[in-house]
This record gives sequence, structure tokens and C-alpha cells, in this order.
Amino acid sequence: MTLFSLKRIGSALLVLLGVTLIVFLLLQLVPGDPARAILGQGATDEAVQQLRNELGLNDSLPQQYATYLGGLLTGDFGTSISQGLPVLELLLPKLGNTLILAAAALIIAVVFGVTLGVIAARKQGGIFDRVAMALSLGGASAPVYWAGLLAVAALSLGLGWFPTGGMYNAREPGGFLDLISHLALPAVVAALVPLAVIARLTRAEVIEALSGDYVTVLRASGISERTMLWKHVLRNALPSLIGIIGLQVGYLLGGVIFVEVVFQWPGLGQQLYTAITANDLPIVQAGVLFVAIVFVVINLISDLLTAVLDPRAKAA
Amino acid sequence: MNRKTHRHRIRLSGACVVIMAAVLGTSSCMVPASGEAWSDTLVIGIESEPDILDPQGAGGWVTYRINHQMFEGLVGQDLSQPSAEAASTELKPLLAESWDISADGLTYTFQLREGVKFHDGTPFNAQAVDFNIRRMWDKDAPQYDVRAAGNTTFLWQFLEDITVVDDYTVALTMSQPFSPFLRLMAQGGTGAAVMMSPDAVEKYGDQIQNHPVGTGPFKFEDRVRGERVTLVRNDDYWGEEAELEKVVFRPIPDAAARVNSLRNEETDMIAVPTPDSIAKLEDDGFVITEAAPPHIWYLTANMNEEPMQDVRVRQAISMAIDREGMADGLLESTALPAYRNQAPANSAYLASADTPYKYDPQKAKELLAEAGYPDGFSTVLETSVDGSGQMVPVQMAEYIQQNLAAVGIDVEIQTYEWISYISHYNEGLQDGVGMAQMSWGMSTPYWLGIVTNVNLIAPNGPNVGYYDNPEMQDAIDAAILATDDETATKLWADVNAIAIEDLPFIPIVNDKSPYVLSPRVEGFVLASEEWYDLTNVSLS
Repeated sequence: MTLFSLKRIGSALLVLLGVTLIVFLLLQLVPGDPARAILGQGATDEAVQQLRNELGLNDSLPQQYATYLGGLLTGDFGTSISQGLPVLELLLPKLGNTLILAAAALIIAVVFGVTLGVIAARKQGGIFDRVAMALSLGGASAPVYWAGLLAVAALSLGLGWFPTGGMYNAREPGGFLDLISHLALPAVVAALVPLAVIARLTRAEVIEALSGDYVTVLRASGISERTMLWKHVLRNALPSLIGIIGLQVGYLLGGVIFVEVVFQWPGLGQQLYTAITANDLPIVQAGVLFVAIVFVVINLISDLLTAVLDPRAKAA
Repeated sequence: MNRKTHRHRIRLSGACVVIMAAVLGTSSCMVPASGEAWSDTLVIGIESEPDILDPQGAGGWVTYRINHQMFEGLVGQDLSQPSAEAASTELKPLLAESWDISADGLTYTFQLREGVKFHDGTPFNAQAVDFNIRRMWDKDAPQYDVRAAGNTTFLWQFLEDITVVDDYTVALTMSQPFSPFLRLMAQGGTGAAVMMSPDAVEKYGDQIQNHPVGTGPFKFEDRVRGERVTLVRNDDYWGEEAELEKVVFRPIPDAAARVNSLRNEETDMIAVPTPDSIAKLEDDGFVITEAAPPHIWYLTANMNEEPMQDVRVRQAISMAIDREGMADGLLESTALPAYRNQAPANSAYLASADTPYKYDPQKAKELLAEAGYPDGFSTVLETSVDGSGQMVPVQMAEYIQQNLAAVGIDVEIQTYEWISYISHYNEGLQDGVGMAQMSWGMSTPYWLGIVTNVNLIAPNGPNVGYYDNPEMQDAIDAAILATDDETATKLWADVNAIAIEDLPFIPIVNDKSPYVLSPRVEGFVLASEEWYDLTNVSLS
């Protein structure tokens, strides 16, 4: 187990290193000179050159990459060009907001996804199964921005139940209930795809588990169908479910970027969108890196957890 | 019925229910019922996240509309009259009570207002003015700020010295007469010569942008990036106190989302709605306010490209574009066709009965043939995808593309994000690019002198098309040197006439800059400027 864990952590670190290199190189292709963007069009060439030197933009690419990596290791993610603040100071609150949204979406996806999947499996072929699976197919296929716009049109503008966007009421910011009312729509929309995927996978796993010999034995022992299903069968399906939920967390973080833009949720995605349009390279670099780190770490945790629950997974 | 068909029907029914809910929902949108309790906070939906709140170093109109409420300069503009009543704004004393210009036009002596305090209690006086101007101009001053200096070069380029005469008198000496100087002092946008608290600048250093301290009718409360900038009323304001207690600027980059937020009462006022939503909003009781801000949506010709060097080609392009069709059709009358190189809100705008380069594709073809391009040519047009004052740039560029294709000019459109675009544009038009689009202008005619000045060729200035016309340059230099208004206006008319004849850039439309207000917003006036004053705005 220790060797497996070390190997898995090592490969995660390699992936992260690769991400830093790709992010660094991709952003070299963005047009425009950050130094001129900072100083404005009236700045002299001399001032622009001086700032390019200060920012290290005149160094060779490997030098710039080494400086960038060194900064990351010491917690220096650079300074935002458009906001003039340390990137870390700017992004940490945004990451917090994104995690609130992603966590709410994940809870919705897991609770409803697993429940739907188990009940559908239990009533395989029935009306509930067919409706649930058709809806989940719809959920998995619906583009999140489209679903978001539809939700705003129907539930915010139409029925007036929810605000159209933001995280708090701009007039009276704050309050848990205010947060919940702003969180509801984006969380549900962000949960659509993972909910559908989890529901379908749970259904498949439970159907497979139900055909196991131990189910016949348990049934013969007179155990109630409910206990057998929710306690024994679901436990057997758990390792696969944890793997898929781990993956969904990663996709959720990618998906909430669109949701944040549609609902103006002040999270990492919205910040990344703004930073990209503002050519603010340090924020874009750090934002993409944050998402990658969370993705890799969650996958690492889910792999390790799966290995603990199901030792066969280590061989895979 | 087989299983597959059944599943398909269920999916279809589900989709219908959702869509019907959406349609029913949107059709019931309406203005909030009167009689509800309203908070005294005005929430404004703005187009993008603002830049830094250091007004001297910040760029863009979106940000200056916020900074303008907190900061004041020595010279101001009267923003209380709508465009319909005043085609261009009047200058007015602000932190300077009066000023005197020496007969040779070289010395400006400002008599400052007494008893004014910054929001942090620091007194406003001649030392504060000296401190602020040196921050933007004097490389040897400890408070010198490269970004503020870069953004205000256009203003201080002829400043030679600043003298504190007494506690409330400051004298600025120029190396040559510079007639647009006072109007430029009242400008905002990219760099504004407004006064910041010297104590705050020293206290916060680089972080002053997050602790803006001015003398204006509103003061800074907080900023949550991506969410809001909150200002509160300055109860110790030296002038007429603001009506509102609080103003929140909420960045909502998507135009449709801004409209939704207004309909759902989350904002009271929004900038730049989607053009196709305006009629419905008006029908539903929202108030549309329009103005004539002093900017033009135009194409800059790249004088390094062979076809564009021929004035007949530039004239042909100008005549091939159906401005009326674009303004009335595509833009749904949110803009006016522009045929002149100064906006109507400019004091040197040439209002005459004739319309130069009226839409005439046949004449355009003849001009192209005369210039040696009977079969047209291929070129590239660059534009942004969004941005303040840009309206719907991609659709507008495509409209132009179709117009030009009709006379044989094959246009490839290249697009960029707004801030990337500004940076790219300011580097000067690249080889192979025939035209680039921009939306800009000022209330001073000097703006035309900036964008065509041979001394300001990119990347060292905004003459991005490399325009170099000695006749134009002489006319600009003469107009700058004029020390009395009457002569200056006459000389700027000469500059305008050359610009219309020679077309260094091709004007397309003048934006009406629509704002949509909830019916409970009272007293909001949109003057002929890019920014507004919220002092007299109230909520019913």
C-alpha cells in the first residue's frame, strides 16, 4: 500500500509539473505586451523596456520558466497586471467561493444521483427507471450555460423565486439565507451533469451487484430488501462510485467556470474569464494551476480511498 | 410502442415542460409594483470588472465612471445638462475657483477653493496640487508613478514647471502655448488629472488603488473583486451633498445578464443593454436614456499598406459603407451615422448641410478603378469582440465586410479580446492589416491632433495608422498654439477639413450610449460625455 501510495503521489507531482510547463508555454502565445498594457499608450519606450526588465519579460524562456517555478514553490504566484494585487491574495477568496459552489453541487449530485440510481436499479425496466434514465441522459447532454440561461428565464425572471446572479444581494450584502438563495440555481445547474453520470453508474453497479451470489444468500437468510440494497449492495458498489465521484469533482470544477459566468458567481471561473479578457497572465496562470491542483489532488485521494476499500484496484 | 420510441417521447415531453415554463416565465416579466419598500442604495450594472481605483493610473471609461464620483480635478465639466440641451459640455471651476492664463499663453495660475478636505481629513491646498501633479509628471519626485505618468503624458507634455505661489495659488508654466490644456484637465478615461489625498498616497504606497481617497461627493466603502465596488455619501462634502446614501457598481459583463438583473430588481440602472432588448424594456416601463458622448466608432487606415496609401481607396471605402443601414438596422437606432472626424459632442464639430462620402457603391467602384484597383483587392480588418464604447464590434465588422465585398474589396476579419486588443492596437497596425477599428474621442478637438500627430506615431503614441501629412501637422501645431478660443476654433475647423478630405481614419457611427433605468431612479442626466454625475440622483 505504501509503495502504491508513493507511486501514485509521484505521478501526481509529475502531472502538476507538466501542467505548469504547458500553462507557462501556452500563455506566451497571447498577443499584446503586458508592459505596455500596464503603462498605457502614452508610456515611453524606455519606461516599457524598464518594466519588461523588472517583470523578467526580456529573459529567455527557460529562465522565465525557472523563475516562475521558483516563485510557485515560495508561494509567489506573481502580481496581477490589471488589479495590482498579489495573485494569491486575489485568488484564494475566489477559490473559496468556487469550492462553496462546487461542494453544494456535489452534495446535490451525490445525494440525488445515488438515490435515483439505486431506486432505478431496484425497479429496473419500470416507469421510474425509464423516466429517471431519460432525464439523466438529458441532464448529461445539456450544455451547462444553456441550462443556466433556461433556469434564469424560468425560475428567476418568470417565477421570481431566485435572483438572476451574483452571490449576495448588492443592496444588503450578507446573510446565510441570502447566500443560499443565490447559491440554489447555480448549484443545481452545475450538478446536472455529475448527477446524471452518478445516477447512471450507480444503477449499473447496483444491477451488477444484485446478480451476485451473496445477494441470493442474503435474501435466503430473510434480510429485508431495503437493508440488503442500501447496506450490502451499495457497499459493494462503493469503490467504483468513489472513483467516479472523484472524477466528477474534477469535471465540476471545470464546469462551474461556465456556471459562474452565466450566474456572475464571484469564483475562480468568473475571475479567470475576466483575467483572460484583460490579458492578465499571472491570474490566468495561477487560476488554471489551482484548478489542475484540485483536480489532481481529488483524483489522488479517490484513488487511494478506492485502493483501501478494494485492494484489487491497486493492480489496475 | 417499442421501448426506444417510448423513451424518446418521455424525453420530448420533459423538454417541452421546461421550455414552456421558460416561455411562460419570461412573458410575465414586468416592472416592479409601486409602493414596495425600497432601500436607498442605487445599484448600477456595469459592463466589466473595473480597473484599479487609482484615477491617475487607471484606464478605461468603465472605471472612470466610478472614480469620477470620488475624485475631483481643478477644472470640471458641467454634466447637469443632457446632450439635447448642450451639444458639448461647458468647463466649470471645481477644486480651482478660478484661473488666469498669461497673455503669452504660457502660464496658468489656479486660485484654489478653500475649506476643502479629502475624505481622510487631509486638507486640500496648493501643496496637495503640487504633490499630485508631480506624481504624474516629475520623474525626480518620490511619489512619481510610472503608470500615472504613462496615462497622462498627453496632458503634461508641454509642462515645464509648477510653482506653489501661496497656500491656495498654484502656477503651471508651459514650454509653448497649448490651447486644449484646460479641457484636457477635465478629461477622464485613460488617466485623469484629479486630486488624490497626499497623506493616503504616502500611507498606502502601491496599495493606494485599493484605498482611494479624493474630495468628491462620494467616498469609498469597499470593493469585492468580481462582485461590487461600494461608495457612500461624503457627508462633509464642500459642495452640494449627494442625495443617495450609497451606490454599488456591480460588474456584469454579459449584456443579457445585465438586462435580466434589471428586470429582476437586482440593479436599478444598467449600461449598454443588448440592442434588441431596448424596445421591450421601454414597453415594460423602464426608462431609456441616451446621449451623444464625444466618441466615434471608426476604422483607422494603415498608411504602410499600398492600397490604403491612395486617398481614393480610403474615400471609396468610406462611400461603400452603408452607415444609415448599420445604425438603423443592425444597431436598432442606438447609434447615429458618422461622416465627420470629430463627434458632434466636440466643440470643433463641423455641422454642415452636406454629407461627405454619402453611401454610393457605384461611385466607390469608380474611385477604386481610378486608383488602379478595378477588381478590388484583399485586406484584413482587425477589431475586438467587446469593450467600452465598442457596441457590437464583430457584427459591425461583418456588416462592413459585406458592404466592401459589394465593391470588390475582400475583407478578412480578425478579432481579439478587448484589453488584449487595446495593447495590440497601441503597438501600431501590423503589415498585412489594412484597417483596424477603434471607438474613441474626447470633448476637446485636440483628440484629432493626438491620433494623427506625426510625433505620436505608434508604438510611442496613438497614431496607429502611421499617418504623416505635413499639411495636417502644421494645421494641428497652429491650432494648439492659438491662445484665444475664437482663433483656436477656426484653426481646428481647418484641421477637420483636411481630415475629412484626406481620411486618415474612416468614421462609421456615433454611439448614443444607452442606459436603462428602473422607473424609480430620478434625476439621472446623461450629458455629452463618457461619464456621469450621481450627485442629484435619487430613488423614489
